[in-house]
Amino acid sequence: MNKKVQWIFGGAAFILLAFYPKIFGIYFTNVFVTFAIFALYAVSFNMLLGYTGLLSFGHAMFFGFGGYGTALALKHIPGLPLLPAVAIGLLAAAGLALLLSPIMVRISGTAFAMLHLAFGQLMYILALKLRTVTGGEDGIGGFPIPPFTIPGVISVNMKSPENFFYFAMIVLGVSLWILWYFTKTPLGSIQVGIRDNPMRVDYLGFKVPQTKAVIYIISGAFAGVSGSIYALFQNLISADGAFHIMASFAPVMITMVGGVASFFGPIWGSAIFQIIEELTSRFTERVELVVGLILIMVIMFAPLGFMGLVGYVKQKWSIRSAKGLKGGVAS
Amino acid sequence: MDPTTAMYVAQGIHGLAYGMILFLVASGLNIIFGMMGILNLAHASFFMLSAYFCYQFVSMTGSFWVALFLAPVVTAFFGILLERFFLRKVHAFGHMGELILTVGISLVIMAAVKIFWGTENLPLKIPPILGGLVNIGGMDYPVYRLFIIGLALVVLAFMALLLYKTRLGKIVRAAVSDADMVNALGINIPLVFMTVFGIGTWLAGIAGVAISPILTVFPGLADQMGMDAFMVVVTGGFGSLGGAFIVSIIFGLLSSYGVQFLSQLAALLMFIFMAVVLVIKPMGLFGERE
Repeated sequence: MNKKVQWIFGGAAFILLAFYPKIFGIYFTNVFVTFAIFALYAVSFNMLLGYTGLLSFGHAMFFGFGGYGTALALKHIPGLPLLPAVAIGLLAAAGLALLLSPIMVRISGTAFAMLHLAFGQLMYILALKLRTVTGGEDGIGGFPIPPFTIPGVISVNMKSPENFFYFAMIVLGVSLWILWYFTKTPLGSIQVGIRDNPMRVDYLGFKVPQTKAVIYIISGAFAGVSGSIYALFQNLISADGAFHIMASFAPVMITMVGGVASFFGPIWGSAIFQIIEELTSRFTERVELVVGLILIMVIMFAPLGFMGLVGYVKQKWSIRSAKGLKGGVAS
Repeated sequence: MDPTTAMYVAQGIHGLAYGMILFLVASGLNIIFGMMGILNLAHASFFMLSAYFCYQFVSMTGSFWVALFLAPVVTAFFGILLERFFLRKVHAFGHMGELILTVGISLVIMAAVKIFWGTENLPLKIPPILGGLVNIGGMDYPVYRLFIIGLALVVLAFMALLLYKTRLGKIVRAAVSDADMVNALGINIPLVFMTVFGIGTWLAGIAGVAISPILTVFPGLADQMGMDAFMVVVTGGFGSLGGAFIVSIIFGLLSSYGVQFLSQLAALLMFIFMAVVLVIKPMGLFGERE
């Protein structure tokens, strides 16, 4: 595929995205926003799993900190504009990551996964118990959602789903682009080096723990952005939605289904999951069973996920076309 | 004896009983991890599954003792199936695949339990011999808690004998330190792995039966116990049975005395203990490796 075709596809996708709410209506607009939120959440998770080789079972704590940060800020600070509210969510999650990083950069593998599981559960219990701050089981709902304003230029009401769609797309799109750009920087390359052989990276003179800490904080911060948008989108953030163990497993499953070895895998995974959820929730309430079976099937038969399957089909196809070419020459 | 001391002792017995159940679950988790390097996230689901089997056997036969014998065996059978037909196949893809596979299995078990038994709390009576209180040295003790402590100690002794006095135990201990080498010496390591996995789930099964008359049987059992058992393994050190035993008892006592004195923060005490241990010793109290 050459550059021109890529540009045409990109342009078509952009135009489709721009007119999406007009074409598909409010219901599917909201489905798409959910997809985009979980896409960013899963990509931020994949910064740890796919790029640095660290499996986290407690990524929901950053998601939740982002959500609660934004919700609490909007509830308690009157007249807070929209973007600073999102920024507070980002900073809350990044702050949590900064606090945890001294412990987390010293471990990897199973200990890393388990410690995250434990801390994620700790956050869940805290969110349930600190009722005066977090609202317990009910969470924080009905906080004011300010309009998006650039003083003197524009003020857009965020209560309309259509306007919120554009806002969410821009924030999530920019966040995804930053993460994509990050993986292309020299620091992003060291990240992959740490995954493949931390000792060699250390011998080359790079500081492994410090680099890990930076990646960890970035990953947490962007999970916070997705949580923050999620809170704004639902106008509600609750312990069950944000800190529950299933919220931590969501990016694991999305990433595995989409493909762990690629940047865009989690985005595909998020799309696949939205479609599955749309289809299954119409026929059955046992989403748990379906999700569990999908996980087992993916691990057993397609461990590289959707992107792995795509790569496999591409490879087969190119071998076949190469064979056809040879046959043509021979005859 | 004055009432305050009596209360302390009663809470201590409760804590010990919970710690023992915790140890049964955590030791299974730990044996499987120490030997195969698999952190079985579905372990607590087997614990819950066994509690449901126990309920089923009791309602079918009316005898708690039959259930105590049969439910863990059936659970272990399911564990062996999981090892033979699922875990062994994904072993080549590394630990990440195994972790995610066991998450999938635990979700499926949870859904299956809800389909077959519903989501209500299913009550289970303590068998009459074990009900009531027993008077020892002027103090009343609940018999069932003492029975749990005794049962756990018997199982512990059995495990110790198995590990340190039999040929299988010798092979297992050798495989913990180097499975490839033991395999090269002509011992069927996959079969040993399967047996160990079965024993691990059997231990979780016994704990599941033991706890069901106290807490009733409900789908939330797995979450509650699973989290505590993982914390025990992490705090005690991966692969260390002694560490698991000590930390289980500390956790049991922390939770029972915690509810007594700091009911709001009881759930946090264990986390604080774990965080302190991990900050000082990242590998856990008795852990030597990751």
